[in-house]
Amino acid sequence: MAQKWIYRLEELRSKDNDRVGKKCANLGEMVHMGMRVPPGFAISVDGYERFMDETGAGEEIRKYVEDAGESIHKIEKQVEAGRLIRGIIEGKDMPEGMKHELYTFYDELCETVGMPDVAVATRSSGAVSMPGQMETYLNVKGKRELLKKIIKVWGSAFTTRAIAFRLEKGMEMSKAPIGVAVLKMVNARSAGVTLTVQPTTGDLTKTVVEGNWGLGESVVSGEITPDSFLVDKVSRSIVSSTISNKPRMVVYKKDGIGMVSVPAEKQDRACIDERELDEIVRISLEVETYFDMPQDMEWVFDEDMQFPENLFWVQTRPAKFSEKKEDDSEYLAELMTRIFKM
Amino acid sequence: MKVYDVVPGLEFDAERDFEQSPAWFLDGTHSVPPWTPMFGWFWVSFCRHGMQYGAEKLSLPTVKGWDWRFHNGGGYLTLLLVKSEEEKQRREKKFQKAILPFIQDYDGLWNGYVEEILGRYENLKKLDLDTADNLDLLDNFEETINTCRRMWEIHMYMMYGTYTAYILFENMCRELAGIDDTSPLFHNLVSGFDNKVFQVDKRLWEFSKRAREEGLEMAFLEGELEGIKSRLEGSDKGRAFMKDFSEFMDEDGWRMQRMSEMNLPTWVEDPTPALMNVKQFLQKGGGFNLEAERAKVSDARLVAEKKVMEKVPQEQQGWFTQLMRLAQKSGVFSEEHDHYLDLYTHAMMRRSALGLGKRWAQEGAIDDAEDIFFLQPDEVRRAGINPDQFDMRYIVERRKAEWKGWCENPNPPAMLKEGFDLDQAMAVLVQSNDPIALKVVVGAMPQVRPELKADLYGTCGSPGVAEGPARVIMNEDELGLVQEGDILVAASTSPSWTPIFSMIKGVIVDRGASLSHAAIVGREYGIPVVMNVFEGTAKIRSGQKVKVDANMGAVYILDK
Repeated sequence: MAQKWIYRLEELRSKDNDRVGKKCANLGEMVHMGMRVPPGFAISVDGYERFMDETGAGEEIRKYVEDAGESIHKIEKQVEAGRLIRGIIEGKDMPEGMKHELYTFYDELCETVGMPDVAVATRSSGAVSMPGQMETYLNVKGKRELLKKIIKVWGSAFTTRAIAFRLEKGMEMSKAPIGVAVLKMVNARSAGVTLTVQPTTGDLTKTVVEGNWGLGESVVSGEITPDSFLVDKVSRSIVSSTISNKPRMVVYKKDGIGMVSVPAEKQDRACIDERELDEIVRISLEVETYFDMPQDMEWVFDEDMQFPENLFWVQTRPAKFSEKKEDDSEYLAELMTRIFKM
Repeated sequence: MKVYDVVPGLEFDAERDFEQSPAWFLDGTHSVPPWTPMFGWFWVSFCRHGMQYGAEKLSLPTVKGWDWRFHNGGGYLTLLLVKSEEEKQRREKKFQKAILPFIQDYDGLWNGYVEEILGRYENLKKLDLDTADNLDLLDNFEETINTCRRMWEIHMYMMYGTYTAYILFENMCRELAGIDDTSPLFHNLVSGFDNKVFQVDKRLWEFSKRAREEGLEMAFLEGELEGIKSRLEGSDKGRAFMKDFSEFMDEDGWRMQRMSEMNLPTWVEDPTPALMNVKQFLQKGGGFNLEAERAKVSDARLVAEKKVMEKVPQEQQGWFTQLMRLAQKSGVFSEEHDHYLDLYTHAMMRRSALGLGKRWAQEGAIDDAEDIFFLQPDEVRRAGINPDQFDMRYIVERRKAEWKGWCENPNPPAMLKEGFDLDQAMAVLVQSNDPIALKVVVGAMPQVRPELKADLYGTCGSPGVAEGPARVIMNEDELGLVQEGDILVAASTSPSWTPIFSMIKGVIVDRGASLSHAAIVGREYGIPVVMNVFEGTAKIRSGQKVKVDANMGAVYILDK
């Protein structure tokens, strides 16, 4: 029997990083922690390799690189190589055996969520971080389309930047440790991020939650001023909240995503209520405890489902934050002089 | 001919020294029994230097470190107080900047010093003392002196800074949450951390496990302690065991049987004390209970943190948490500095001095290698390059006779100027606000609560209640007597006592504060410790049934 190359998310843990890439391994770990993630499956690096092998694309690429010789180190040649190699990959159809397996998983997903041709997102999941290899296709519907997009994600391992990176690191050109995450599209009512540390001050006693209507991309990209909540970790009470005017949001469009206007009556309303905020904080603190370090997480509330089933998590990773500000250290130093005055 | 002072310039001189300070306290933790002359010279010269260095580098507002004197093998200390208000303010300004490295990158600071000092030790150890020429031997000794001085600089700078943070945290807990450092809740906040000393203990436990698995138990359990090594070496498995054990000793055995002395072998020379610890683990059986205990203790810490945080106003919680994290490092520092600093440096001092001693004995300057401990560095220098030219035995003889006299007549706990009593003297110590004096030397005075009808009153060093037979231990040689389930009674404890904490149910010490060894280790093992009972070793006899209620600071002798 051929090697297994598609996995259910619940079969994965962070140790599977090399097999399915960081994003998928992370999603598996999240499922394991009891975080709700959008239903879906993961395509492993083995899937990529098998495709390259069986279709002969791998051989063609090797040959191309060999012929190119030293010239591949020139940037013009790399641009050409990227275009050519992506052409080779995208020009191949998926072998029948693989196609069959992929369709079985997709059918199962459609059945689970109770929707025929359910819309999914296909995201690249690299085992090592590599710049320029971040292709994501949203709102993918139907088997045929899914198959095409997966191949495109594989092809995205050969952007000019990715090629240059691999040459620089002395990595083999035809290999690409790339996995693919296939996840049901959440019909996002509101979405955003939570950081279990105040990024500016490094204050570890508070959690920051920011959100907007629609998809989380508007919050992550910083294009709009989101609603912002500061919550005390111990008491879980809201220390401060800022409800901003949010004129625009990101939604799914026919081919991917795009900005639209927020209906006037919703622009000045909070995009999540207190109960939802509390649920976000509760889970984020559990995850922080699990990893024993502050987390940077992305969440989505689904339009069609009921609380708390409508809260989905799409990402958690160690938070980047600046160390405690000088002022606080100086304040502590000042306090320390007090012990000499008693 | 005139015989030099043991510590030239720092011998106690009542006439002059009482003018400087009316009260000089005996360092009973480190200089009872009395020091050999050479060790006394090292300690008094450089502990004194280190304290003044640390206080100056940090610019402590009220105190400039301690002054030390040597008297009949005892170390006597007094505080150097900042005299004028104006100077205090000046120092305070500087202090606020000087303390910042502790707040901003504590681990970086401490790890950097550990690396520096370990590098110095490695350098010293490079010299093969048996084959080195006299110049190299003397040079090695001079470098050892420099290492000791540097060790004390690091020691006291780190200790002043660390304990300052700890005291502030304790004050803030009192102000914001209503608890102080004798309260069980406070102790829960600062326990549940691993450190180097515990890691060494764990290695010892692992060796006990191996001894059992390989059928080597009898070599430990039957016969004299001193014979364990030779019994082990009677079999192939035992020889392999000892080979690995010696490797472990070369790595972590650079420590003294008695922490502050150099006339007893290091673990590297004679692993008997370490093998005794293995034997005790074997007798006790079971797992390494410190780990299970630590899991419990760290859970208790998280609960305590939450409890305390609830009482701290929200806008204060940021810096309070930062301060708490800093204070939590105090216990780790307290234990680790003994390992990396005092014990290791003293082992280096012994190594280097014995190297010279052996050569001198061969060339006739002294009779026996260990006689070198009765000389001080100026005398060593006199005959250092040409030991065959000098007869140092007359000094050794005289010093040895004096030393024996010191050992027979205990030093008084304090030297007080006429008209000055001990209470007044203690008040000066407390007024200094010296972090080390407060947290290590003096401690909190016990509160006598007649309603408890206890036999002794102390302060809580580690929370809990326990009952069992008392075991009074006066020094390290007697540690082998400790049995599973005993309540340890001692004047104070030091790192070589740590492994027995896995066997005992409770601790009573005559003196100590919340950052003393017994308190820190007791908290990590989750056993009750009552301290500052003053008369524990005098009033309790081994075998008597005692009950300790550390939460209340009470000790009951159940069968009087």
